[in-house]
Amino acid sequence: MTKIFSKKKNGYAVLELLFYIAFFVALSLIVIDAMVTMAGSFRETAIQAELAQSGSILERIGREIRTSHDISSVSAADLTLSAKDADGADKTVRFLLSGSDAQLLENGVLVGNLNTPNISVMTLSFAPITTAKGKAVKILLTVKSNNDASNRIVDFYDTVVLRGSY
Amino acid sequence: MAVEALVAVSIITVSILAAMAVTQKSVYVSRQALHATQVAFLLEEGAENARIARDDAWSNVAVLDTSEQIGIFSRTIVASSAKRDNTTEDISSAGTDDAGTKLITVTVSWLEGGATITKTLQFYIMDIFS
Repeated sequence: MTKIFSKKKNGYAVLELLFYIAFFVALSLIVIDAMVTMAGSFRETAIQAELAQSGSILERIGREIRTSHDISSVSAADLTLSAKDADGADKTVRFLLSGSDAQLLENGVLVGNLNTPNISVMTLSFAPITTAKGKAVKILLTVKSNNDASNRIVDFYDTVVLRGSY
Repeated sequence: MAVEALVAVSIITVSILAAMAVTQKSVYVSRQALHATQVAFLLEEGAENARIARDDAWSNVAVLDTSEQIGIFSRTIVASSAKRDNTTEDISSAGTDDAGTKLITVTVSWLEGGATITKTLQFYIMDIFS
């Protein structure tokens, strides 16, 4: 009689198993969700870094404008500057929006694209400003990352006075 | 046995959640870095605008007090008077107002994750053309 009631317990009760399974399922759902969020965050960080990096396009354009002494021609997406090279000889520096690339041309020869291949330049526009004593150029640069599925665009604004025009 | 597994799985879950929090923070930081890059150009543009005002006529500089909204950024350009020491003629906090020197303050502020971030650029501009 006593033997029947003091039977040694082996394995798990169904309820116990059910609880563990439910717990593991809940935890794995949280982990999978976290993994998906992390993958998205890494992609987003990379896109933001590419966009911030494209500020160097405007940096380069600004530096060339600052050191040049005159604007030889300017239209909406095409700017040609007159400048001097290291030896003091005249040179022209031209910035041009060609398709989705911002191109740099020196003395009419293509030096290369200012944007990295995974950045599309949507807008590159120049507006000349003439003052009583000199000249300046207002620049608008709009870029987007080719890796960005939501196609967000980022605007960079700058205005630079031609120091050589004084 | 199941209890040990439970503890192990809980530890793994907590570590992955911590890693997720770090990546989300990194997104916030890199977004802020992009905005800071844009703001650097806006500050530079503000400084150049003051220079353009000076190049047109010195009288434009003293009255410079603009405020504008560019996308999420708001920018103000303000000119204030600059004093020069009476003996050394250096720019100082006390002395006589110099009519040919102005202090330009360019401020750009924007909202980043609920908090307002402000960047300021201050410089002196001088009347070199009249």
